[in-house]
Amino acid sequence: MSTRPDVIPPQPWAFPEPQRHELANGISLVTYDIPGQYVVSVRTVLPLPLAAEPREREGIATITARLLDEGTARHTSEEFAELLERKGIALGAGMSDSGLSVDLDVPKRRLAEALDLLRQALGEPVFPQAEVTRHLKTRLAEIEQERAMAPQRAAREFIATFFDDADRASRPSGGTHESVSAIAREDIVDFHRRFVGPRGMTVVVAGDLSGLDVAALAGESLGQWVHDGQEVAEGADAPAARAADATRIVLVDRPGSVQSELSVGCAGPDRRVDGGWSPYPVLAFVLGGSPNARVDAVLREEKGFTYGIRSGFRPRRRGGLFLTNGSVRADSTVESVRLLLDILESGREGFSESEVRAGVDFISKTAPGRFATADAVADEAAGLALEGLTTAFTTENLQAMQDLDSDALVTAYTRWVDRQWTVVVVGDASLYADQLKELGRGDVSVVPN
Amino acid sequence: MPLDYPIHEKTLPNGLRVIVSPDASVPNVTVNVWVNVGSRHEAPGRTGFAHLFEHLMFQGSRNVASGEHFTRLMAEGGRLNATTWFDRTNYFETVPKGAYELALWMEADRHGHLLDAVNQENLDNQRDVVKEEKRQRYDNVPYGHALIETYAAVFPPEHPYHHPTIGSMEDLDAASVEDVHAFFRRFYGPNNTVLTLVGDLTPEEGFAAAERYFGELPASAEPARGNLPQLAPITEPVRVERVEDVPNDRLHVAFRLPVDNTEEFFAAHLALDIIGGLATSRLVQRLVRREQVANAAQAHAMGFVDGVSLGFIVLDIADGQDPDTVEARALEELERFANDGPTAVEMESALAQAERSWLHALASQEERADVISQHALLHDDPQFVNTYLDRLMAITPEQVQAAADQWLRPHSRAVVAHLVATEEEAA
Repeated sequence: MSTRPDVIPPQPWAFPEPQRHELANGISLVTYDIPGQYVVSVRTVLPLPLAAEPREREGIATITARLLDEGTARHTSEEFAELLERKGIALGAGMSDSGLSVDLDVPKRRLAEALDLLRQALGEPVFPQAEVTRHLKTRLAEIEQERAMAPQRAAREFIATFFDDADRASRPSGGTHESVSAIAREDIVDFHRRFVGPRGMTVVVAGDLSGLDVAALAGESLGQWVHDGQEVAEGADAPAARAADATRIVLVDRPGSVQSELSVGCAGPDRRVDGGWSPYPVLAFVLGGSPNARVDAVLREEKGFTYGIRSGFRPRRRGGLFLTNGSVRADSTVESVRLLLDILESGREGFSESEVRAGVDFISKTAPGRFATADAVADEAAGLALEGLTTAFTTENLQAMQDLDSDALVTAYTRWVDRQWTVVVVGDASLYADQLKELGRGDVSVVPN
Repeated sequence: MPLDYPIHEKTLPNGLRVIVSPDASVPNVTVNVWVNVGSRHEAPGRTGFAHLFEHLMFQGSRNVASGEHFTRLMAEGGRLNATTWFDRTNYFETVPKGAYELALWMEADRHGHLLDAVNQENLDNQRDVVKEEKRQRYDNVPYGHALIETYAAVFPPEHPYHHPTIGSMEDLDAASVEDVHAFFRRFYGPNNTVLTLVGDLTPEEGFAAAERYFGELPASAEPARGNLPQLAPITEPVRVERVEDVPNDRLHVAFRLPVDNTEEFFAAHLALDIIGGLATSRLVQRLVRREQVANAAQAHAMGFVDGVSLGFIVLDIADGQDPDTVEARALEELERFANDGPTAVEMESALAQAERSWLHALASQEERADVISQHALLHDDPQFVNTYLDRLMAITPEQVQAAADQWLRPHSRAVVAHLVATEEEAA
């Protein structure tokens, strides 16, 4: 056998530099020229807090997003779909904690036509009653599908348990059966008229842009969109409120379930956190980012309880969550929860030099590949734009990461991980509700699926 | 748009087919290894074995410790994994350029010297992990068995695609260390493997590195068997019903298709796109948009090599609608399409979407390397990345109609129906 080769370290890397323009109507245009990327990715983002939705009509922002291309002033729903498909355009829209996103991918030579259709979708939707009815029904069916799938069911119970009931964050961003059922066409027309416009919008265009004048193309299409009455809804300055009784275990009962879906978490930072964001991706990787990270080294590779459990810091516009999710064999549920919380808390005691290096190197040295394609570049830029940041953040964060050591990681980690866990288990409650109480991790309650 | 990704090829004396496709746009190299073994090669009573074996490839080899493949390469900035499917098993990592020789060395160690490290403890542990994978992906998911039941309904018993890659719990339990040894000796070896390198390297560098690390491995795999002959369409409809705790009724309407990488398969794929795959497909237009009797309609084609491929339509029945009625309307659309063929606009749409999705797939080094390996190993066609779109664009409406006429008639269908249990049935 040949000898094990040495590794030559890579050169430092920086996120691609964009060109910036402001369109006549105030839209901020950010373009990344990436040679060889023949499918151009366009990401349109508009900061808009979910709290702008009427309490009794929650989900309206999501429904509005989904209806943008279902009939416009010039084209019926079917005509618009056909126009998109004949040009090879994929278009999708959705709503997150931070705002509205409309994403579009298109072969380079069709970019001009795609931008014109994008402007029509954003600015001229007419929300035909038949399409409204259909999308509301589809969303209600989707809610039932989400209830049937363990990871989604766990996520819904987690936010309901962790966040204060009065906070929008405690309820699904796409609304509940009750709130979606209450939405009428006029509500959607009104919501779109009030909040969806060019003010505050950023458009990211990434791909092989050689020979294209993207600023001119965008100026002739998106730049022509005028909407005088657009309201700007300000998001709250504080993170969503944590429930007073968030430290507890909730079992979502599914008799006969062969696995238990676990969702374990506590509060986490947003990207503007004091001390910087750079420790958090590294912490998530070292604890729960690979088959041999601390969690899976025990629960998967030693015990064989799981196919894999992953940890992640999930920044929101303000504040965030530190979440660990995965499914385990039903009869290992109690031991899995006990081991999982102990392992997560072991991060408070420190990290070995090799763990720190591995985490920093994985995050930073994978960056050139993770951001090699047009869609990945555009997604990163658009996600940051929703929070008022640019991709300079990505580069600076990777640079700051190089200086991390165990002490810096422990300082960052202990700031959030205080042994106060919210634990959700979706599985057969009758098998282990009593034993989970004995773990001493808070009250145990059982709710129906 | 003509594509021109560079393809340089060389076969080592031990039979390893090596393909190098330089791309200096990112300072990375993708190492992609395809082995000509999948669940189609599994023996009766050992279903799921090819995939279980793939897990053991991460549990150490002669010079690599258990788990080290992941930990070492991830710590060098590698993104890596492996997958098993009916036709093949692939192993891949994308690493910074300066680490690609380490990745090749580690691949060569496990592809040549795995058995030094296999033991009962590793096997038992990964068997447990795979069982949890099965529960997570299939057993604990609504409709989780629908595709497994579809394979069994569409392909005859004893056919290599009749059973799923994940296998059965009983067969996983039966797997022994001796099975691992026999499987490795029979199927693993450079003469049953393709290695593709895509990234910031020259062909000379890539070939030299392949020779350096893989060159000493013997041509140890048994000769691959030939592919099975083409199966004809089903002649009488097949129906499987499952009454379960699911949110809504769902139908999988499935068909046998021609083998992959043929004009006939491409034509059948386009037909399925137009019938059910596009956002403007006939089933979406009629059942989802106009009549609103289905929440969603989709269609997929899976290309295989062993004498048949699979095509299927998925219909999510809207609340309060009768699944038999919705199915009957879908069959009307299949008949109509098989009789009349596509319109010009439908052809334009299907080809435009296929083009975008192909260019999008090739946009990343990882996927490009995977497509190159796939077509070199299974079709002896490493230039496929460059020629596919031109071949697809040359498909005529007449070919699409002919494919639907031959393969997508209602009498050739197998239907797997997952139906909502009523209160009495659930009790």
